[in-house]
Amino acid sequence: MTSGTADLREALPADGRREAPDYPIDGAAPQIAQQPRTREELAGLLASATEAGLAVVPQGSRSALDLGRPIDRYDVALDMRGLDGIVDYEPADMTVQVGAGMTLRALRAHLAEHGQYLPADPPPGDDVTIGGLLATARPGAWRGHMPAARDLVIGMEVALPDGSLVRSGGRVVKNVSGYDLHRLHTGALGTLGVIVEASFKLVPLPPATRSFAVRRPSVRDAARLAIELRDAALPGRALSVLAPEAAVRLGLPDDAHVLLELAGYESALDAATTRIRDVTERSGGGLGDAPSGAWDALRALTGATDGVVLRLGVPATRIAATIEAARGLRGTAWGHVAAGSVVIHAPAIDVTSVRVLRRNVEAEGGFLVVESGPPALRAVVDPLGASTRDLVGALKRQFDPTGTLSPGRWEVGL
Amino acid sequence: MTNEVLIRELRDALGDAHVLHLPEDLIAYEYDATIERARPDAVVFPGSTADVAAAVRIANTHDVPVVPRGSGTGLAGGAVPVQGGVVVAMTRMRRIVELNAANRIAVVEPGVINLDLQAACEPHGLRYAPDPSSQRICTIGGNVGTNAGGPHTLAHGSTVNHVLGVEVVLADGTATWLGGRQPDVPGPDLRGVFCGSEGTLGIVTQICVALTPLPHEVRTMLAIFDSVEAASEAVSAIISGGVVPVAVEMLDQEIIRIVEPQMHVGYPLDAGAVLLLEVEGLPEAVAADAERVVAACDAAGARELRVAESAEEREGLWEGRKGGIGAIGASSPNFYILDGVVPRTRLPEVMSQVNALADEYGFRCANIFHAGDGNLHPNIMFNELDEGATERVLELGGEIMRVCVEAGGSITGEHGIGLEKRSYMEWVFGEADLDSMERLRLAFGAGERFNPCKVLPTGHGCASGHAAELRGHLAAPGVYI
Repeated sequence: MTSGTADLREALPADGRREAPDYPIDGAAPQIAQQPRTREELAGLLASATEAGLAVVPQGSRSALDLGRPIDRYDVALDMRGLDGIVDYEPADMTVQVGAGMTLRALRAHLAEHGQYLPADPPPGDDVTIGGLLATARPGAWRGHMPAARDLVIGMEVALPDGSLVRSGGRVVKNVSGYDLHRLHTGALGTLGVIVEASFKLVPLPPATRSFAVRRPSVRDAARLAIELRDAALPGRALSVLAPEAAVRLGLPDDAHVLLELAGYESALDAATTRIRDVTERSGGGLGDAPSGAWDALRALTGATDGVVLRLGVPATRIAATIEAARGLRGTAWGHVAAGSVVIHAPAIDVTSVRVLRRNVEAEGGFLVVESGPPALRAVVDPLGASTRDLVGALKRQFDPTGTLSPGRWEVGL
Repeated sequence: MTNEVLIRELRDALGDAHVLHLPEDLIAYEYDATIERARPDAVVFPGSTADVAAAVRIANTHDVPVVPRGSGTGLAGGAVPVQGGVVVAMTRMRRIVELNAANRIAVVEPGVINLDLQAACEPHGLRYAPDPSSQRICTIGGNVGTNAGGPHTLAHGSTVNHVLGVEVVLADGTATWLGGRQPDVPGPDLRGVFCGSEGTLGIVTQICVALTPLPHEVRTMLAIFDSVEAASEAVSAIISGGVVPVAVEMLDQEIIRIVEPQMHVGYPLDAGAVLLLEVEGLPEAVAADAERVVAACDAAGARELRVAESAEEREGLWEGRKGGIGAIGASSPNFYILDGVVPRTRLPEVMSQVNALADEYGFRCANIFHAGDGNLHPNIMFNELDEGATERVLELGGEIMRVCVEAGGSITGEHGIGLEKRSYMEWVFGEADLDSMERLRLAFGAGERFNPCKVLPTGHGCASGHAAELRGHLAAPGVYI
């Protein structure tokens, strides 16, 4: 331990101290692990670490630490789970202000008592923290059907590396005062500041949900049907295309499938079910109930940390071709029609294949991001699109000029 | 002399026809829908991203500001070139570049009129959801600049929730895409933070938007109440009861008495307030939602509830809402539109406070607003020829904003900060908050070159925007909210 880290360790409250070896990232443990209980304690830690020139990595449930490049330095693990309270909840306003360390599961339980929820289904499951949900902005199957967390965040408090606590937005559902810095921090992986608290606009829980799986002879056929179902404008919450390999993982037969979820009043779901039956029967049948737990299994698979997970942004009309390309690489793949995304999980994919995939999707205006994978792969696949690298660099220099927060996430030294 | 060189260079780059510089031509570009004025050195009408970039580079070499402009319907002075410079008017760039129904996106140039995009989508069974009341004239680029809302924001969200990507020209004259053609592009959300940045970070040159399907059925209802308080109670009861209608708009007695004689849309003249409510979806869902809405209105003491039976009736009900502000213009020499937000549950008390303040100052105040979002639009009517009236109206406006802030709300829900509300920013944000917003501006490299003296309360060479030295701006007749 260097003198800088030893001094910092001494300065931090002993009751917030955690075991550093419990916080490895890419096999390396930090020198210090700390779980602040208050925002002031957190801000103080950042200011001291910055002054000592130490690198801090904020983390919640530790489920998405593979996002971005392997970091350059790692001195302090900042465990956010101590800031886990509901600060303010007004059910009649349908807004909530919550500490970044609270889990989505705990928040959902609280909101459900009032018939409300935050409609986010990020990978790998509900154990993600609210701060992690926003900082990673990883979409789930509901994306495109429901507003995402980044659409529903109405205010935020962020701790900057210099120890200042700054707010943007507010607690009202519609607000254009000042810059929406709370949007900037979504997807930023905690590299521009540490999310301390967030406020959300909420939505009512649907009175009922119903899930179906439709068996199809090919991925192409499944994708065609999925688009037809999308165009029927039914009260859906998810509409996905599964390659046979993915279907098997969810307990379905070894064939391509469409998996969909309806949400709404029972009466509307009955009507929608009739329409779905009409559409599927017209094009060959195969409608059945989805296996229980299918959506949770798909979320867990998306959040897998073994092997490689890629997320690609592609037009809905290219989902089938992208899934087929993934199968050629021995990947398990599935796509979400409304969001225009394909997720590929594979035991291993070589760098060249990733680059080819990326070139192909970028040629159509899409993108590819490595959500999980070995450091060697993540070190050479640029986590950002080329067009925004300069701007992200400029932001980093403004918000974290000393490179305190997860240095190297975006590129070496950044 | 510099000015002549500047204009010559702009004309060389963009063509003579696309540069205005004579004083009589510049007058129309001195203001937007507020009354604050300032004369630009030149107005350019780029036809492409390359033209915009060229104009920015030329302005840079002459060290003059750049101010982007759409249709000029802004209600916060955002397009007023307070330090002169080059106004970049986007009205020539009005092509719908791509309408991709299969993938539910459209790529448009910033000068495309909001309603024109709607019309283009409709044959495909699609729509672009944000529908500000000025949609017949406002541009998509301007909507991005202000993160425009509209009556249907309640369920569908504001502009930022429908913009997938923007091509922007940055302060150094380079063009780049923020976001893309699908949501959730990796990295910090540059697209999200750009929306609503009021032309201070860059100039939008193309926009990729998400389109959504037209609903199977829409039901529009008019609920009539004896008081604003009763109507507000109904709003809270509907939403906390688990129904989020796509629109919940309120008109108070004052505005009903202005709108009805002019537009004959069927609002009862003796009503204390009316709510315009809309639900949509599958017929079964519409029926279930409507049943709950009716029950909540009944419980709050609605004296009558009408349902639009045809598309014409529906249009009629909306016409009264969307044309409401124009009607005020016809019945008062001047009026000042305010835009504040409060938590929905605070509406009844805040509305009472607003009306009490207007009474105290001796002005008529008409309220027509997005009740579901808690987004108020008090319209204060006055005659600027009455001595001291303008100052008193501005003072009243400030007091009403204070009420919103003290109720836990905000100083603007959809019109923006612009020039008008810079001085109020310190009521909502502390020094460190404002400093972090300044960092964003610096990172984008715009400094104070792009749309100076807007959004943030400080700026080199700007009249102070600190609260103590407050100045306000008046809405011109015919403006929209």
